[in-house]
Amino acid sequence: MSAKAEALGGAGESKLSPQFHVAHHFDKADTQFDAGRMGVWLFLVTEILLFGGLFCAFAIFRSKYFPSFVEAHHHLDRVMGGINTIVLITSSFTMALAVRSAQKNETKKTTLLLAITLACAAMFLVVKYFEYSHKIHDGLLPGGNFTAADFASGHPGIFFAIYFMMTGIHGVHVVIGMGLILWILLRNQKSEFSSRYYAPVENVGLYWHLVDLVWIFLFPLLYLVG
Amino acid sequence: MSTSHAEHDHEHGHGSTNGDHVPHVLPFKVYIGTFATLLFLTVVTVAASYVNIGHTGNLIVALLIATIKASVVALIFMHLKWDHKFHGIIFVSALLFLAVFIGITMSDTEFRGEAEAIEAKNPVDLKDPFKAQRTGDIAIPKEIAPAAGGSAAPAAGSAAPAAVPAKH
Repeated sequence: MSAKAEALGGAGESKLSPQFHVAHHFDKADTQFDAGRMGVWLFLVTEILLFGGLFCAFAIFRSKYFPSFVEAHHHLDRVMGGINTIVLITSSFTMALAVRSAQKNETKKTTLLLAITLACAAMFLVVKYFEYSHKIHDGLLPGGNFTAADFASGHPGIFFAIYFMMTGIHGVHVVIGMGLILWILLRNQKSEFSSRYYAPVENVGLYWHLVDLVWIFLFPLLYLVG
Repeated sequence: MSTSHAEHDHEHGHGSTNGDHVPHVLPFKVYIGTFATLLFLTVVTVAASYVNIGHTGNLIVALLIATIKASVVALIFMHLKWDHKFHGIIFVSALLFLAVFIGITMSDTEFRGEAEAIEAKNPVDLKDPFKAQRTGDIAIPKEIAPAAGGSAAPAAGSAAPAAVPAKH
């Protein structure tokens, strides 16, 4: 089949993703690509339910300790949260463009776009670091570790427990995403990806967009509404 | 959505001559338009949070804008609009199960102590919610229990296991 593909592909096309082959249990490349993508979508479902548990906790405790949530959320820096929202949306944009340039065989452009995505992810974590260290300094900590004085409401520690857990698990996803993007970037530099084969770029992209998607809900709920 | 999907398949059918995957490349303006939309909606959601329409009103507006943003990301950046319908079904079913999860949980936690008049008098202890199953769920008025101890000792035999855990 590969000989036939090379003959039909014409000049240059046989060089695209030379290491790529269709596994013998798939009838064609499309089937293999779709199967992989469906697997990633199923994984994303489990991610939605993971964060869903935390959103459920947020909903229950917001309703039970409403004054505490309103008071505590004013201690979050909405400027920093807003900057991080824009940074993450930008990274999602460059990731989507990286998939597009991989589809168009623009290998160098893909590397550049993945590097920008990586830089945005790093910037997100730097902003998060400043936010966290400010909270720790002020004693705005989860549950029993909460030491900040002059709070009128009774249970601000519960808000910060949920805040740190939700943004913490989201932050872990950003770190894992950075590792995945770096892996894709290095493979791309070896010219492994092309219009014939870009499934890993697309699938890491799907994961990265989900990380963005979770933040799209976290930002207004924690920072803006409380 | 179904039309786009059909077009996608159509393109595949013609583009692939040697069994290779042929990508469906979207125009650049689609991406830049999506990016601009997301930035615009971020500004809108921040601005809307300064408009005081009550806590519930602000929450609904924030969730509505977030849902629009999430839909834009899922449909365009994640290619669901052009993807197989089944991937969309997987995604939407996850959201439906999430709604069931949060909805049913909150229908419990929001209305504890309100279901029946007797429940309001004996609210469920959050740290020991299944106490009633162990104790037989018998309401024993606390002021009567010690007085009844002496005179009705033989009759209290069946109620005794319920009374002991209720004391501590």
